[in-house]
Amino acid sequence: MFAALLLAALLAAQFGAVGIQWVDWSSAWSPAGADAPVSAGAHVLWNIRLPRVVFALWIGAALGASGALTQALFRNPLADPSLLGVTGGAACAAALTIVAFAGAQATLPMAWRPWVLPVSAFVGALSVCFALDRLARWVTPGSISGLLLTGVALNAVAVSVIGLCTYLATDEQLRSLSFWTLGSLAGAGWPLVAAIAVLVLGAAWRAQRLARVLNALALGEEVAGHIGVSAQHLRAQAIVLVALLCGFAVAWCGTIAFVGLIAPHLARSVVGPDQRKVLPASLVIGALLLLLADTFARTLVVPAEIPVGIFTALIGGPVLLVMLADLARRRGGVG
Amino acid sequence: MRRLTLPADASRRAWLLRAGALVATVGSATSARAAAPAQRIVSIGGALTEMVFAIGAEPSLVGIDTTSLYPEGVRKLPNVGYARALSAEGVLALAPTQVIATEDAGPPAVLRQIGAAGVPVTILSANHRFEGMLERLQRVGELTARVPQATVLAQQLRADWARAQAAVVARAAARTNAQAAPRVLFVLSHSTSQVMVAGAGTSAEAMIEYAGAVNALAGFKGYKPLTPEAVIAARPDLILATEQGLQAAGGTAGLLKLPGLAQTPAGRPQRIVALEATWLLGFGPRLPAALQQLDAAFAAALKA
Amino acid sequence: MNLAMAERLPPDTLHAEGLAWPLGAPEAQHARQVEGPAPLLGLAAVETRLGAHGFGPFTSSLRAGERVAILGPSGAGKSTLLKLMSGERAARRGELRFDGVPCARWALPALARRRAVLPQSFAVAFGLPVELVVSLGRVARDHDPGQTGIVASALALAQAAHLAGRRFDTLSGGEQARVQLARVFAQVWDEREALVLVDEPLAALDPGLQFELMDALQVFSAERGHALVAVLHDLNQALSGFERLWLMQQGQLIADLPANRHAVGALERLYGIGLRCVDGSDGGFAVITQRCVASNAEVPA
Repeated sequence: MFAALLLAALLAAQFGAVGIQWVDWSSAWSPAGADAPVSAGAHVLWNIRLPRVVFALWIGAALGASGALTQALFRNPLADPSLLGVTGGAACAAALTIVAFAGAQATLPMAWRPWVLPVSAFVGALSVCFALDRLARWVTPGSISGLLLTGVALNAVAVSVIGLCTYLATDEQLRSLSFWTLGSLAGAGWPLVAAIAVLVLGAAWRAQRLARVLNALALGEEVAGHIGVSAQHLRAQAIVLVALLCGFAVAWCGTIAFVGLIAPHLARSVVGPDQRKVLPASLVIGALLLLLADTFARTLVVPAEIPVGIFTALIGGPVLLVMLADLARRRGGVG
Repeated sequence: MRRLTLPADASRRAWLLRAGALVATVGSATSARAAAPAQRIVSIGGALTEMVFAIGAEPSLVGIDTTSLYPEGVRKLPNVGYARALSAEGVLALAPTQVIATEDAGPPAVLRQIGAAGVPVTILSANHRFEGMLERLQRVGELTARVPQATVLAQQLRADWARAQAAVVARAAARTNAQAAPRVLFVLSHSTSQVMVAGAGTSAEAMIEYAGAVNALAGFKGYKPLTPEAVIAARPDLILATEQGLQAAGGTAGLLKLPGLAQTPAGRPQRIVALEATWLLGFGPRLPAALQQLDAAFAAALKA
Repeated sequence: MNLAMAERLPPDTLHAEGLAWPLGAPEAQHARQVEGPAPLLGLAAVETRLGAHGFGPFTSSLRAGERVAILGPSGAGKSTLLKLMSGERAARRGELRFDGVPCARWALPALARRRAVLPQSFAVAFGLPVELVVSLGRVARDHDPGQTGIVASALALAQAAHLAGRRFDTLSGGEQARVQLARVFAQVWDEREALVLVDEPLAALDPGLQFELMDALQVFSAERGHALVAVLHDLNQALSGFERLWLMQQGQLIADLPANRHAVGALERLYGIGLRCVDGSDGGFAVITQRCVASNAEVPA
């Protein structure tokens, strides 16, 4: 499966607005001197397209993994990280940053300004996720379904805040906000790619160690307690991982729908429902999905670009329908 | 010649490339001409594109954005999409030598990538003033190596502007004895659910004030959603809208159905003035002509 | 113990033939505990609440190898008592000791090796394969070399070996019950003198299956010296397969009787029905229910 991933990445890197020749690829192995001119194709390949392709892989992996963890936590194949308030929190923070604090941004030094939106969205995602956990423990202690319902309530609040910001926004702010919401992988450089790679690898390693006991959750919270697995402890760890992974992805790229929902489902249909296999498979499938969507997004209407969230929704919607039909068929067929 | 793999525009691109190759060979043959390198400009911002056309630099134009709608021929050029959501590769695929953009252009990371690829990106910020427009025109002239044409155009525009302003002043003088300056309300209605009105600091207010009128709404900045009480309290004598907005609202009748508008001094006699959006609010080289037409339209509406 | 409760029932039911222990009398409890080895599970005035209903206080103890059936009408609190005993529900008052150590001090994985619970409902998400479900009984063990063998043996004992390789959500109700039972077997397979708690699991199964599985459970527990506590509705099962009966009513444990003919009267009063004893050829007996005939005992409200 990893071989397919690598091949897909190479193929995707070949396609794009700017034509790439073989000589551009080989310029990596025979680096020219500092003053020798680098062809435009090579520059685009190494500094713009490859970082973006690799970024898409890592973000897709992060979304896939957080989707797998969320579904394991809620014991439901239709669960999505947005249920934990991550996307709502990020969108809320983004809306507030764009609309309410637009004036304040002008006072910041130029170098910091590009970071304001992603950092605030990340902080928003984390804080809403953790606030949700605390709130759920206080209101409906000890219940994961209580977490789900509290999440619904909190998401409603976030949506209303976003609505308020939309109402108060000027035209340009509105366009900024809606483009952020649609999601985009543009503008990724190698440092950012390195950061997300570290995050995803660390979180994935941690999640893999939880995989065995995550299986136990499928039997139900009470039974999990009987067989020695603390659902509360597990839930806390899972939420932290989902918040970090999905929060980072949403903060930098806006809301990219469906990857977290579909990647684990496809993973389960390929490797079976054992979480020890589903988690790594979700990483890979999520990466492939996002790479595919992003490649379409940046090559279909060259020289412009379609927001990648549109493609994930285009692919995701029908797949979700197929999933639902399959589930219904299976439930109806049990003797 | 760089090979560009673009399926959709392949044939047109091929034509352009051939034409370009022809010009390049002709140009290089006459070495005297070879001093000025072939320019490829990507222009992001309707007003800036208009300026490029106005000073005759349009052969160098290789890419425009979604707000560049005038003149008609501009739509045939490759469109790099919405100014705030540019694609680095997309812009670079057009092999530009210069990118001229408004301050809306983004995301900032993409602009940095374009710059890092060796293509200078120049941001020309806008203010809603005639002098600001002239400054941008001058800059555009410098960037496209057509300074003399820009200077000539600037002079012409100044003359046009002076004439238009004189007409406004004359009308105001004729009026001051009888009544105060007309109160105008600008309504922005892209969709029936989202209707906004213009407050202070907007391009609409600038145009209204240039035309010798007064913004009926005071006390807030930017665009805000329309509320009936505010509109009735504003007592506008005239309602100003864009043609596109008026169409979207369903014509004069549809616009007057919006809450509060029919009860204003402008609503009852149906005093609505609508101009095309980029003409009215573009703040490009057509500004003096737009002011003239706006002034005349106001006068005609008030007489009716 | 709620002495007021004891006073409401006729005295002969409690002290019939001197075989039943007077409930909750601390001296008697203490005397009992001094006699034998340390109890596997000890409840000392354990109480809890569910909304407006109070349950308890429960005071009793359980030794290794004992088989106890909990009986009582619906809503009496049988499942609540079982949940208290399994540690799933924390007691508001009183103390629960497992192997002499208070329940609160037990770490979940360690507790999972000493007690297994077969729940009422069997839902498993994601359609996990049968072997995985059974092996999850042992998930709390870090190092588990013999797992595959134990899983296979547990499936065989639960008459579910033919289900290996199937997905759990494609099984029928009876098959799911067998797989969950196999899971419980696997959980305490290699332990001795652990506790197995069973909550009305076989109620919806066909009679043949019920016999098979109860038998399997009892053989399993007997071999390893496990204590078995089951909530049942089937009086014959209780009387034939178990040695002690705990009778519950309105949140209280009202009687702790040996499972023999002398318990039949208490059972009649508990459920408000009549029971006719029928002798079996092997020396055992069965009870047949009939409508309550007029009796001078109080009918439970």
